Amino acid sequence: MGQLLIRRLIQMLLIMLVVSALLFAIFDSDQFRRKVAVAELGGLGLATLSADDYHAWLDRRGLNQPFFVRYVAWLDQLGHGDFGQSIEKDVAVSTLLGESLSNTAVLAFFVFLIMVPVSLTLGVLAGMQEGSALDRIISFLAVFTTSIPQIATAALLTVILALGLGWVPTKSAMDDGWSFRALVLPLLTLLIYDIGYLVRMTRASMTEVMASHYIRTAVLKGLPYHRVILRHALRNALIVPVTLIFLELNGVLSQVVVVEVFFQYRGFGRMLFDAANFGDIQVLQAGTLVAVCVAVASQGLSDVAYGLINPRVRVA
Amino acid sequence: MSIAHPLLPGLCEQLERGVMSRREFIRCATLIGMTARTAHAMAGSTAPAMAAETLPFPAVDPGAKHGGILRIGQMVGKMHDPATYSWNEMSNQTRPILEYLTMIGPDNVVRPMLVDWWQPSADLRTWTLHVRSGVKWHNGDELTAEHVAWNIRRWTDPALGSSNLGLSTFAALTEFTGGRDAKGKAVRRALKNGVEVLDSHTVRLNLARPTLSVAEDCAEYCTLIVHPSFVAPLSHQPMGTGPYTLADLRVGERCILKRVTHTTDGREFRYWGGDVYLDEIHFYNYEQEYQTAALASGSVDAIYELTIEQLELAQSIPGAQILSVESAQTLCCRMQVDVKPFDDVRVRRAVVKAADNARIKDLVFGAHGSVAHNYHVAPIHPEYFPLPPPVRDVAGAKQLLKEAGYEKGLDLTICVGNNDGPWQQAVCEALRDQVKDAGINLKVEVLPATKYWEVWNQVPFGATSWAHRPLGTMALAQAYRTGASWNETHFSDPKFDLALSEAEATLDVAERRLKMQKVEQLLEDAAIVLQAFWRPVFSLASSRVRGYRPHPARQIQLTKVWMT
Repeated sequence: MGQLLIRRLIQMLLIMLVVSALLFAIFDSDQFRRKVAVAELGGLGLATLSADDYHAWLDRRGLNQPFFVRYVAWLDQLGHGDFGQSIEKDVAVSTLLGESLSNTAVLAFFVFLIMVPVSLTLGVLAGMQEGSALDRIISFLAVFTTSIPQIATAALLTVILALGLGWVPTKSAMDDGWSFRALVLPLLTLLIYDIGYLVRMTRASMTEVMASHYIRTAVLKGLPYHRVILRHALRNALIVPVTLIFLELNGVLSQVVVVEVFFQYRGFGRMLFDAANFGDIQVLQAGTLVAVCVAVASQGLSDVAYGLINPRVRVA
Repeated sequence: MSIAHPLLPGLCEQLERGVMSRREFIRCATLIGMTARTAHAMAGSTAPAMAAETLPFPAVDPGAKHGGILRIGQMVGKMHDPATYSWNEMSNQTRPILEYLTMIGPDNVVRPMLVDWWQPSADLRTWTLHVRSGVKWHNGDELTAEHVAWNIRRWTDPALGSSNLGLSTFAALTEFTGGRDAKGKAVRRALKNGVEVLDSHTVRLNLARPTLSVAEDCAEYCTLIVHPSFVAPLSHQPMGTGPYTLADLRVGERCILKRVTHTTDGREFRYWGGDVYLDEIHFYNYEQEYQTAALASGSVDAIYELTIEQLELAQSIPGAQILSVESAQTLCCRMQVDVKPFDDVRVRRAVVKAADNARIKDLVFGAHGSVAHNYHVAPIHPEYFPLPPPVRDVAGAKQLLKEAGYEKGLDLTICVGNNDGPWQQAVCEALRDQVKDAGINLKVEVLPATKYWEVWNQVPFGATSWAHRPLGTMALAQAYRTGASWNETHFSDPKFDLALSEAEATLDVAERRLKMQKVEQLLEDAAIVLQAFWRPVFSLASSRVRGYRPHPARQIQLTKVWMT
């Protein structure tokens, strides 16, 4: 187990190094520098600068150095625990990152709190008897909800719940402080898709288990049906969904870009989107590091969980 | 405190002879430093109610209530360096904290603000500005001429990258070094003795050429006056002369302003401009297309701007106040004269001839706004000389194309960034349909707004939005004079430059208007811009807000706004 974690950790650091170097390289272009200059000075301000003054301005902003110099400087700064400064928002990246991550964590917490029990229950119910009426209804709903893109769900929910019924606000910026009502729309948008997906996976896993020989044997032995399901089928059927749930951590982190931007919720996805639009390189770098970290960590957790649940796998 | 100007008797005489209308007289008299009320008195009319003669603010209902929080929906930007602000919204957030030397009212007339009077020399090359006495900074310091000079000198530093250097006044405080940069652009430096401090409250500007628009230029959106101790970002140490200070700023979220009651050294702070009503001003981040809905749902009390697309929605909000004002805000579909095929004037004329400006305006703005005639001077400008309106002439356009060698048609691409709203794209699309009749295949390339600002002065054919300027000569000097910073068409005509300089050196409006005929005609003949209309500016506020007025340059002025 320890070895696996160390391997994962090294893997994560390597990915981080490569991805961040790539980002710096991508943003090392005249076009990018011009974009930052326009954002900072405006097209009209920039037009007043001569070529020399423009380069002097870039020098003052540290944008003129070759990318590896900036990269090494950034690594050094990171080594001292400093994520740098957001040029778009004039605040420390760590402040921005802390706020946006905690907002997304709140959203993700509710997503998992609701998604896990609901979809495991529905998936198991559907998979218990393949082809039954219950299976058909649940499967149809699951396919239906996963086939609508989240952006469409978001628009539809806004029209019905916010504009039509007026139950919730259209925007989740929470200008007047935290409110659960404002969280409803982004939460539902994420849930509708994610529940459908997890239900389908759980159902597939469950039907496979139910068709296996040992379940047939258990049934033929005359064991009560609920005992067969609870004691024999569930443990094996849940191996796949549980590993998927951990991987879903990473999935949610990428889905929030669409949902948070649409509802203007101040989370991690919105922060990344703004930073990418503006060319706010330090924010983008920090965000990428976090994303890589979550991706690798969720895979690691998923591996560990798989090892713990699946008797056929013993992690050394 | 106003000093009779040598040009004043001439103005009075013109008024008596009827050569000059009352409105023009007032406009011109305030330009040479007379207070609006005195000017109105001389013109024999009643001045619009003002809070006090020496103050730039409108009068307030005696029953106006103190207190309350005004919530405004607009994009919330960072407040880094007021001299290099890239959006108007940033100025809106800052205007209650920092102030201008002068202020343009919603009626497009300039008024004294941090300077209480000014006086140009007869040749308009030397301007004396008198700094208002008794204006205090938030740290208790008194505003002095040194502070003002420090700001103006800063703007004239060509390395700062401030859009102020594109304004005639501050450009006239620089000179060409004779050198050229890598791209062939002439290099400038600040004039040695351009800004002189005469005494504790008097500044003199020694300009390189006659400049008409000093008072107006001092009210542009990047000319907010900072304390000489200023270090960017402003949001970290927001010190100004205005009645408010920054309590909280979250870019893309909100900007909270609170009243200043005490100076930083603990004394009582008295605002020079008299009573101020609102306790707090909150800006909440709403993109343009959501602002009206935010007001409808009660999330905000007023919005930055009501767009034409949202007008109908706004009209359905009970009690909402919709006001509009004429402006010189416009879209210039401009062609670069040194890029093929636009280097041939016949091609440019063909594009202009094939278009029907009035039809484009009707399609996009309906009954609102007014038709423009391709020379970038608006009817609301005091020196507007109405030329005969152009007539659409498709046959003529075809003939011109034939002469230019494009008998079989011509493929063109226009870039548009919708910087001022999606209506810009609609203008280009209408143009596309019209010029088709003359055999021009126009492709409309839509760029994201920020992307357009990266290429606005580089694309051969582009639709650039031009903000309102209070004087007609201002935009011309900024956009069409040889070598001007914002000369996006690369137009260079010594005859035009000379004619414009002559108009700019003429304080007398009637005379200047006559001189503008030549200027406008030269620009129209050059056919470098297709400019269909002047768009109006709409404002929207809930029924509780009082004194919230639309401004032609979209400046939100909140000093005397109050809430019921």
